[in-house]
Amino acid sequence: MAQADTGGGSADTFPRLLLRHARTQGRRTAMREKDLGIWQSWTWSQVANEVRAAACGLAANGFRRGMNLAIIGDNRPRLYWSFAAAQCLGGVPVPVYQDAVADEMLFVLENAGVEYAIVEDQEQVDKLLEILPRYPRLKRIFYDDPRGMRHYTQPQLGAYDALRQAGREFDRADPGFFERCVEEGRAGDTCVILYTSGTTSKPKGVCHSHASFIAAARGDVAFDGFGPADEVLSYLPMAWVGDHLFSYAQALVAGFTVNCPESSETAMNDLREIGPTYYFAPPRIFENLLTTVMIRMEDASRIKRGLFHYFMDVARRCGMQIMDGKPVPFADRVRYLLGDLLVYGPLRNVLGMSRLRVAYTGGAAIGPDLHRFYRSIGINLKQLYGQTETAVYVCKQPNGEARLDTVGRPLPGVDIKITGAGEIWVKTPGLLKEYYKSPDAMAESISPDGYFMTGDAGFFDSHGHLKVIDRARDVGKLNDETLFAPQFLENKLKFFPYIKEAVCFGDRRDMVCALLNIDMQAVGNWAERRGLAYAGYVDLAGKPDVYALLQECVEAVNADLAQEAHLAGSQVRRFLVLHKELDADDDELTRTRKVRRVFIAQKYESMVSALYGGQDRCIVETEVKFEDGRSGKIRADVQIRDARTYPAAGARVA
Amino acid sequence: MTPHGRAFGEPVLAVDNISLAFGGVKALSDVSFHVREREILAIIGPNGAGKSSMLNVINGVYRPQKGTIRFFGEAHHNIDTHEAAAQGIARTFQNLALFKGMNVLDNIMTGRNLRMKAGLLAQAMRFGPAEREELEHRAAVERIIDFLEIQAYRKTPVGRLPYGLQKRVDLGRALAMEPRLLLLDEPMAGMNVEEKQDMCRFILDVNDEFGTTIVLIEHDMGVVMDLSDRVIVLDYGRKIGDGTPDEVRGTQAVIDAYLGVKH
Amino acid sequence: MKRHLPVMILCTALVAGLAAPLATGASAPGFYMEVLFGGLAAGVLYSLVALGFVLIFKASGVFNFAQGSMVLFAALSVARMAEVMPLWLAAMLGVGVMVLLAILIERLVLRPLVNQEGVVLLMATLGVSYFLDGFGQSVWGSDIYEINLGLPKAPVMILGNLFKGGILINKDDVAAAVVALLLVTALALFFQKTATGRALRAVADDHQAAQSIGIPLNRIWVIVWSVAGIVAVVAGMVWGSKLGVQFSISQVALKALPVVILGGFTSIPGAILGGLIIGVGEKMAEIFLGPLMVRTFDLAGGGIENWFAYVLALLFLLVRPEGLFGERIIDRV
Repeated sequence: MAQADTGGGSADTFPRLLLRHARTQGRRTAMREKDLGIWQSWTWSQVANEVRAAACGLAANGFRRGMNLAIIGDNRPRLYWSFAAAQCLGGVPVPVYQDAVADEMLFVLENAGVEYAIVEDQEQVDKLLEILPRYPRLKRIFYDDPRGMRHYTQPQLGAYDALRQAGREFDRADPGFFERCVEEGRAGDTCVILYTSGTTSKPKGVCHSHASFIAAARGDVAFDGFGPADEVLSYLPMAWVGDHLFSYAQALVAGFTVNCPESSETAMNDLREIGPTYYFAPPRIFENLLTTVMIRMEDASRIKRGLFHYFMDVARRCGMQIMDGKPVPFADRVRYLLGDLLVYGPLRNVLGMSRLRVAYTGGAAIGPDLHRFYRSIGINLKQLYGQTETAVYVCKQPNGEARLDTVGRPLPGVDIKITGAGEIWVKTPGLLKEYYKSPDAMAESISPDGYFMTGDAGFFDSHGHLKVIDRARDVGKLNDETLFAPQFLENKLKFFPYIKEAVCFGDRRDMVCALLNIDMQAVGNWAERRGLAYAGYVDLAGKPDVYALLQECVEAVNADLAQEAHLAGSQVRRFLVLHKELDADDDELTRTRKVRRVFIAQKYESMVSALYGGQDRCIVETEVKFEDGRSGKIRADVQIRDARTYPAAGARVA
Repeated sequence: MTPHGRAFGEPVLAVDNISLAFGGVKALSDVSFHVREREILAIIGPNGAGKSSMLNVINGVYRPQKGTIRFFGEAHHNIDTHEAAAQGIARTFQNLALFKGMNVLDNIMTGRNLRMKAGLLAQAMRFGPAEREELEHRAAVERIIDFLEIQAYRKTPVGRLPYGLQKRVDLGRALAMEPRLLLLDEPMAGMNVEEKQDMCRFILDVNDEFGTTIVLIEHDMGVVMDLSDRVIVLDYGRKIGDGTPDEVRGTQAVIDAYLGVKH
Repeated sequence: MKRHLPVMILCTALVAGLAAPLATGASAPGFYMEVLFGGLAAGVLYSLVALGFVLIFKASGVFNFAQGSMVLFAALSVARMAEVMPLWLAAMLGVGVMVLLAILIERLVLRPLVNQEGVVLLMATLGVSYFLDGFGQSVWGSDIYEINLGLPKAPVMILGNLFKGGILINKDDVAAAVVALLLVTALALFFQKTATGRALRAVADDHQAAQSIGIPLNRIWVIVWSVAGIVAVVAGMVWGSKLGVQFSISQVALKALPVVILGGFTSIPGAILGGLIIGVGEKMAEIFLGPLMVRTFDLAGGGIENWFAYVLALLFLLVRPEGLFGERIIDRV
């Protein structure tokens, strides 16, 4: 793809990539957004023009090289342009999770020393204004959507439209300014600061250079052959490295079209309308999609359900082989073809995945059954492995080699070593430049010989694929020395549509116990179908019928674990169903919805000790934060159940 | 919340000495008040105080035996509900009255009905101007959908939406009429805290963005105090209080009425 | 889930019943197909009448007992006027007459009875029905009149190379089917795609709410009854050209009742499908089931055509009262 450079300076920074697309494919669509029910679109040259206006506007407002620009909001074209605008001036965009509460925002703004912010709407402005007294350094806040902003008089505020207007005037007054700024940019400059979600500690600002991020994106684009004809839908948080790589870096390298949904709630509809060719989402999203499909199938007519189950059996038997181009009996091939016509095709269409060439998932382990489901209905879903620090450029599954339990092969240019303790260390072209203002953190995560220490435990299987089991520090042992990989167990449990979250305990204990969260939608539907009346979440979660349902799930997992000799000892002996949903607002989950196991163990101490103490119920009181910032208490009497365990299969054979 | 000292315009609605009785039962006796432009007026009172009757008199469902109602200075006598609508009075309903068989988009589109000028035949043939008109109305409806943040449900039959969203669609349909006076009959009835907050924000935004004059009935006193510029209190069909939320809260008659003290 | 079972059994039985003569070799395929087409042709006529019922019921909740009489009245008007003017002009005037009738019904019947119980309105339409029957005959006469649509009556033979002797079908039956199809398409577009159609659906859903957004109820009623009147003109002309315009039309039109029970009171596709099922069903029953019953039970024979539709409707009332496509009202908990 590098040969596309049209002489005159290589495109080694994102602004230069943008300008090159404006030059070489200026009339192709770069971006779309659905607004007022209609897809609006911008060509590459229009985007370049918009970015120029925004950059000049920022300059007119005093934004200079070396400054950081906070960007907060849903995936809006103008916010993506703001990334480029800051980079054009030699500044650094700092995306902040849009659902972060004021305190979390304060931390990032303070840490990055942000003085300028471009935000989506009133909601984000309100949060920044709330922080303002504690963080008076914030000089200017520009908002995209003027709705509800009429009566705001704070001097810091300005509309994006005004910013753009100021930019156009500034540009007229000094027409060479913009080019000069872009010219000054160096590949080694920091291009973005992405804050890690901070599973255990406060977030860290990961600084990437243009060089590292472009190298990672180029590698990705070459690996799957992305080009200007590809389309993506951007609806994942802009502050997540995945979205930044996929909707910004790869889009600028490959020159494909980025589509922004109308609102976060319409993403599913918009997905269907756009029909992207390339898709990237954490496993949770694929899980939700599957849950929705399953629920709809349960409500469908008998005939439809019959067809669905019949052809899903066919797909389970031969779908994966057909996708990987392996030999399959002729009769199965015919059945699969019929199934494609009747079930898989319509299903892909409902999922908005009819045109999909490549889909990736990463960021957390995906359940093998979930992965198999998508691949068997003809969706080329593959796993990848990487971190914010490595620009997600470590391992990917090549086409035709998507194994269910690995994350694929090391990508070109990547060097992986497994330490004696089983930890994965990585050297990659996408390696971070530094942690923002934190040399200590750098020393903690980069080995003296230049490897990034991922903190994940894993190993290479016989095919040369990397297999990640868990966080290295989380993998523990039961008192009888049995291996205990909590995330692995939790993911197995969460594959059941009825289980939304699971938290397993067992390290240095005698047995494995689990806290479960019901999936309100799935269990609610289940209850409704059975005519089971319930008054709300707490009531539903405590129903004996629901317990019985979850018990079946837990025991199915146990039966499965029993098949693998080294995991058989970590079957779940006891469990309870939590009376409240684990929530990032209560610090129980990270913003990327990973469970904070240690925090939960402390918070629900009484439950955990009841589980291990052999009691059959416990009474708990929990503090919760409501959306309006107030807090209250939920009190509940929670039952505890024993789950059946199975003898290890290996024991008999060996 | 109430921006004190906010300037209100001319009276939009003047209600003078309205009395309404069903058979021997007096629903309203001698009620007078007026609503000024851009104002949010709340009507409160215990159950059966005549609040809904008052709204029904204003939009022509009931015809009062005595008294006059002037809307923008014009007497508005013996009019039908649809005539009231034609004059610019829109309303929402306490017990949802959405068109259940239709989707969200069509429900809100019906609110544009009055503004459609194309003849029946032109519509049927999708004749040029009729087509253009339909598109213009669709654009107006899309702005409302955007405003109420219900983009995800355009094509969803309203019967399948959760209650809070149905209430929002009801508001959207009324807004589509671009009313000069908006009557809201218990807009928060049956909502949870979060839905109430959303609805409050929408009502304030409507008032703020479009300058719509609003008369609302509400039971939740917190909501009333937050939302309204002025409150009138009805009890057994008589007006017993009229003033800012703070003034009304302190009136003895109001306290008695709410505490059920006989006088 | 469970409630679907009886419907499925019923439908399966229906299909099996229809296919039985063919499957068991009781009938030559060619003859069987002829009976089938004959049934379909009759079914189209039922559908056209049922359509009028559905329209009015959907928009105003009134069960219009007078629909059959409206068909007769429209047919009489067109037939008699066509004697002194070209048919197309007579048809246009017929539409005018039906619109006028709609206005009168709204003024004199519906408006005074607004907000009355459904049963009162049903009785009122019963009155309208008798009035129209009588009044039509007083004005237009009570003989049998003809409507000549100018279609060739001669049957054509099709599929001669597939079945021995081919299948004979009437061209005017085909024309009737085409007309019905066009009418249904037009109505569907009108209801779904125009602002007035939307207003009609709004009124059908909730009178009070419709009024509060400025939809004048009276005008809507006139429109609905006019549309039902236009449907009656079309139905009347098609019936009239086939059977001659005579009093029995208003009686045969009562078959529309089982049709709407089968198809659902509020469903336009239901009215069409219901009509076809009844049409085919009763022809099949008459020709294949009737002789069988006569032989088996030693009956006097015949007449099955007259009650088959009602028995079928009764069965549907038992297992699926809302009909094939009718709306089931689901109360949310």
